[in-house]
Amino acid sequence: MTFRKTRLAACASAGILTMLLSACGGGTPAASDDSGLGPGRGPIVFASGKDFTAEMNTLLAKWNEAHPQETVKMLELSASPDDQRASFVQNFQAKSSAYDVLWSDVVWTSEFASRGWLEPLDKAALGGPDILPTAVQTAEYDGKLYGAPFITNAALLFYRKDLVPEPPTTWAEMWAACDEHLTPEMSCYAGQFAQYEGLTVNAAEAVNGAGGAFLSDDGKTVAVDSPEARAGLQTLVDAMKNGKISKDAITYKEEESRRAFVEGRLMFLRNWPYVYTSAGAADSAVKDKFGTALLPGVNGPGSSSLGGIDLVVSAFSKHKETAKDWIAFMQSEETQRFVVAKMNQASVRAALYDDPELIAQSPYLPTLKQSLTTATPRPRTADYNAVTLAVQTNAYAALQGGKSVDQAITDMASQLSAAIAQ
Amino acid sequence: MGPERLAFRLLLPSVAVLLLVIAYPVLRAVYGSFFDDRPMGPAAFIGFDNYARALWGAGGADFWAAFRVTFLFTVVTVVLEVLIGLGMAAIMHRSFRGRGLLRASVLVPWAIPTAVAAVLWRWAFDPRGIVNHLFGADVTWTGAEWPSKFAIVFADTWKTAPFVALLILAGLQIIPKEVYEAARIDGAGVLHRFRHITLPLVKPALVVAVLFRMLDALRLYDLPAILTNGANDTTTLSILVVRASLGDLKPGYGGALSTLTFLLIFVTAFLFVRLLGAGALGRDRT
Repeated sequence: MTFRKTRLAACASAGILTMLLSACGGGTPAASDDSGLGPGRGPIVFASGKDFTAEMNTLLAKWNEAHPQETVKMLELSASPDDQRASFVQNFQAKSSAYDVLWSDVVWTSEFASRGWLEPLDKAALGGPDILPTAVQTAEYDGKLYGAPFITNAALLFYRKDLVPEPPTTWAEMWAACDEHLTPEMSCYAGQFAQYEGLTVNAAEAVNGAGGAFLSDDGKTVAVDSPEARAGLQTLVDAMKNGKISKDAITYKEEESRRAFVEGRLMFLRNWPYVYTSAGAADSAVKDKFGTALLPGVNGPGSSSLGGIDLVVSAFSKHKETAKDWIAFMQSEETQRFVVAKMNQASVRAALYDDPELIAQSPYLPTLKQSLTTATPRPRTADYNAVTLAVQTNAYAALQGGKSVDQAITDMASQLSAAIAQ
Repeated sequence: MGPERLAFRLLLPSVAVLLLVIAYPVLRAVYGSFFDDRPMGPAAFIGFDNYARALWGAGGADFWAAFRVTFLFTVVTVVLEVLIGLGMAAIMHRSFRGRGLLRASVLVPWAIPTAVAAVLWRWAFDPRGIVNHLFGADVTWTGAEWPSKFAIVFADTWKTAPFVALLILAGLQIIPKEVYEAARIDGAGVLHRFRHITLPLVKPALVVAVLFRMLDALRLYDLPAILTNGANDTTTLSILVVRASLGDLKPGYGGALSTLTFLLIFVTAFLFVRLLGAGALGRDRT
């Protein structure tokens, strides 16, 4: 009995060892050359974020039926963007060909491209005039296109149309509307102010809306040390101080702020279009009582930060030609229509925002189109992670009152230059 | 072949696995920490530059802030957990109906993965969460410095005090009853018996418990990462390491930070065993 046990243990550890070794060895390389398809063609793997709608399978099935020798297999990764990025980076660093096409958040594309991990793409084919120019910008690095915009996203101002008949276009109008119409149990405005990427997005909107910027357009110099950027951040800090933004909002991410609006505790909410569905649902306190508008600015509507997903091709892929064909298919009008209708995402194709059938389904589309066309991409830089941290920590300190706006912007400027100089 | 040689050979695969999954990554990180982090092309050897940057260069402010907060968390949580653990162990040591059930249920917080517990506590510490509701308070727990630190210490203590309690309980159970009886006959009171019998005899278990907790607390990551994302001066050394290596894609600098963290933990544990726990690990006393 004892002998059997020890032998079992030895076999088990030997087994683990073999598993580890084979896992380290990577998958079997696909034999592309003897398939008769030509170089760079064959089955590919698409590493994607979580597909909450499960509709991606329909798209894959359609492609795979038409291309039996160049099938696409979807590998669904964690729902957390940080985890997605970590597994992408590990694969790239190992120069692995395990992922052919990757789902890249718009702020990662520059970072990946700058390290030589992405295959440059044909701008005429994948970033042409039919695609929203702001979305194309997110996929460009050093003058070349490195991703095919697939989904885009811009913020909307959700407002209580039962209380405020006309949505405000400027911050001043918004505060005035609150002074006039706010009920005691409500607070005026919220966005996302916890220290995370959402705060960078919100701070960027305030700063861009006032005519400022964090970095220059090419991401190579720091531009934040300006009166405009100070004025932009000051708007949020003042609102926090005088209670127009409730103090709870310093802990808000997307979901906490959405809940506040859907439960009727907020007059104005800055959030992504996904809120539309739950705010209009049967159990929402604001069903039929809300509308959407553009974000407020200083002298007129502001400028949203830009979200979304680019599809990128790995530089280490063995089947790049198939990968490029497939991302073109994902960007085609037919697929994009499906993305809007079935997956409830914002298309990168401008024409779809004027489609009466789709507008009937998602009435916010015309407002979203306006928000998208005036949107500003977040800083495009190879050191995005350090850049966003410098923005977040200093904006957060200013909102908390631990730092004056002037000091926060000065510190932000010096940390930003350290971040992009590294 | 003697049984000892057989045993040695049978252990070889496990040793190989351990070398592969522990020694290799550690050595690789140390090796990598001597190279720079250029985005493209082969990294250049830069000696101790990454360490200099972390200790007194551009990263110094962040490093020492993380160092301070990590040690603050460690000291506060370990002290609280030992005190609470002692109390829990003393209760579980007595015999009463339902003792088995109590011992099992005390372990529940310990059995919950830290990341899951952190998410639960984030809900509880939400401005509209159960904690404010119960106490009629209006505190933005994760939105200000000291409330955030309190929340992290609280959640950590909640989770690991039971673990300390169980280790101490194991120590209590090996103390022979006769010793207590003899003391009682000699007229020693409850406090006397605790100070002169329980404490010295349970010390080996206690030292092990404190050592385990200290090593754990010095690499605290999940709770602050999930509760505050490192905001409000709760960025621990481990958060800094993960941020540099995975976030900023700087494996060299991240390797230097993780080596420094490793050294700090090692030195702390070494000093602790040397100063307090000589013999506690079972060398000169049984």
